[in-house]
Amino acid sequence: MIKKRALANRDIAACILLLIAIIAWFRADIFGHELLAQISILAIFAMSLDLLTGYTGLVSLGHAAFYGVGAYATAGLAALAGWPMWAVMPTAMLLSALLAVFAGVFAVRLVGVFFIMITLAIGEMVHAFAFRSRVFGGDDGLGGVPRINFDAVGINLLDPAQFSLFTLIVAALVYFVAAHLVDSPFGRVLVGIHQNESRMRALGCPVRHYKLAAFVLAASFAGLAGSLAAQHNNFVSPELLTWTTSGEALIVVIIGGIGSLVGPAAGAAVFVMLAHHLSGITDYWMFFMGLFFVAVVLFGGDGLYGLIGRMRRALTHARR
Amino acid sequence: MFFEPTFLAIQFLNGLQLASLLFLLSVGLSVVYGLMNFINLAHGTLYMLGAYIGLTVARESGSFWLALVGAPLAIAALGALFHVLLLRRMQAASPMKQVLVTFGLIFIGLDVVRYIWGDFTHSIETPAIFSGSVQLLGEVYPSYRLFVIGLGLFVFVALYLGLERTRLGAVVRAGVDDREVAMSLGLNIELAFFIVFCLGCGLAGLAGVIAAPVLSVYPGMDMSILVLTLIVVVIGGPGSLKGAALGAFLIGMFETFGQVFMPALASVIIYALMAVVLLVRPGGLLPVRPG
Repeated sequence: MIKKRALANRDIAACILLLIAIIAWFRADIFGHELLAQISILAIFAMSLDLLTGYTGLVSLGHAAFYGVGAYATAGLAALAGWPMWAVMPTAMLLSALLAVFAGVFAVRLVGVFFIMITLAIGEMVHAFAFRSRVFGGDDGLGGVPRINFDAVGINLLDPAQFSLFTLIVAALVYFVAAHLVDSPFGRVLVGIHQNESRMRALGCPVRHYKLAAFVLAASFAGLAGSLAAQHNNFVSPELLTWTTSGEALIVVIIGGIGSLVGPAAGAAVFVMLAHHLSGITDYWMFFMGLFFVAVVLFGGDGLYGLIGRMRRALTHARR
Repeated sequence: MFFEPTFLAIQFLNGLQLASLLFLLSVGLSVVYGLMNFINLAHGTLYMLGAYIGLTVARESGSFWLALVGAPLAIAALGALFHVLLLRRMQAASPMKQVLVTFGLIFIGLDVVRYIWGDFTHSIETPAIFSGSVQLLGEVYPSYRLFVIGLGLFVFVALYLGLERTRLGAVVRAGVDDREVAMSLGLNIELAFFIVFCLGCGLAGLAGVIAAPVLSVYPGMDMSILVLTLIVVVIGGPGSLKGAALGAFLIGMFETFGQVFMPALASVIIYALMAVVLLVRPGGLLPVRPG
């Protein structure tokens, strides 16, 4: 089991990461703010996947479906139906959660590779729907998504710097909520299911209900990330919800360290910066990203978070 | 027009053609899963590479038949290399890590193809013998498509006989049935796995070559077929040759008739079919290990 001390370490790491992000925010130019917003949004998405994969042990290749539903719901309700944004964002999360309830009832019956495959199929089903739907522009996607409006308090989110700060704050809040969730008795049960499902069942724990709850929670946070992505790009397209987006999110989680919450947030920064720089150097940057993915899975061990932990332990030993 | 028997018969043949392709793609994936619980997401990439290598061989030599033999051999060799370099190290890893390593390979394969062959769409010319059409129920039908169907059937029969009548086939069946017991009896499951894996890769390459004259050859052709292939494996029941054939038949038919009768819903129907199958029979329609 994870000890109390390790949990405190995670929160310290999160504070340091937030501090670095704030320093980066002060030093960033317009492009820097775009990247920072991208990182914050991916961090929320990756943390939501970590709740499911890292803590509950459910590996999903369809998590992008919920991200995409959040984005498409935001586009549909705001750009097509003209809802005010303060109502749109919670509704987008709710719709992601609702889809997760329906999909999850099927999915949590399966384990291992079958769970991976059914989530992939669920994701592709939503993708196929978006790809074909005329209302949402099909293949071309749908533009004209507004950003949430804080004009009343003098904040203009159309400004890249203010928007990136907004996404950063939301990411920090999501970390705060998720950290409390995984430290709660509920989160303990999820970790228990991950470590030994049959023992949890023998203890009388309704394992499927807990898995479904984790699935729905993770989906609603993914929906929040999707809603922010739609606002950031002012645009949604079926690409948001392809299964490769889910695969990339899993890689992000592994880069940072699976089941550490703060790790996947750091992994998001590594992923976005690497993709940004590589795509500036060569047209064939996906080749190098692919190599990086393979290397991360083969040699990444327990990710950045695990690496930092090991370095710290090595230092304490050296001092003695 | 939709319910005319000739129209339905033509669509049925088109469905069989897709089923034939999907069978070639899924059978290797399925048996490898049965032996090692391993799913290779880069299987579609091998299909794409098979098509491209076949394209180059056919253009350089002017012979489709040389491409039909050469490209699968090249892909099988690539599979062997992949097994030695990567898979052997991954056997103790979690399903997630195995799946994600092959996920990385997808991107590598995609850019290798773009680098060598460019972003354009290519096509292999239909071989001369099959460039014509035949009269079927008063309709003309391209004879090449019948060749694709025939090849799929031939491979199915050959694999079936190989699995049922040869020693290697017996070892593979034993390995799929119960790996630990088979190994403790002294059967070389590792070697059987290696051979089956290379054979599966070669069949994916073969599928790429025979698809090239019908479907176009472009970077990303792997992604459009991969998900269908995975669904075939899951629906049929991983590890099962007959399951792969049945799954390929069902998906080929549902996809083809779905596109004709309700194009807007065709792809959704297939996923729904998979969900229903998994709910009713979580191990697939023809599971190797019941329960």
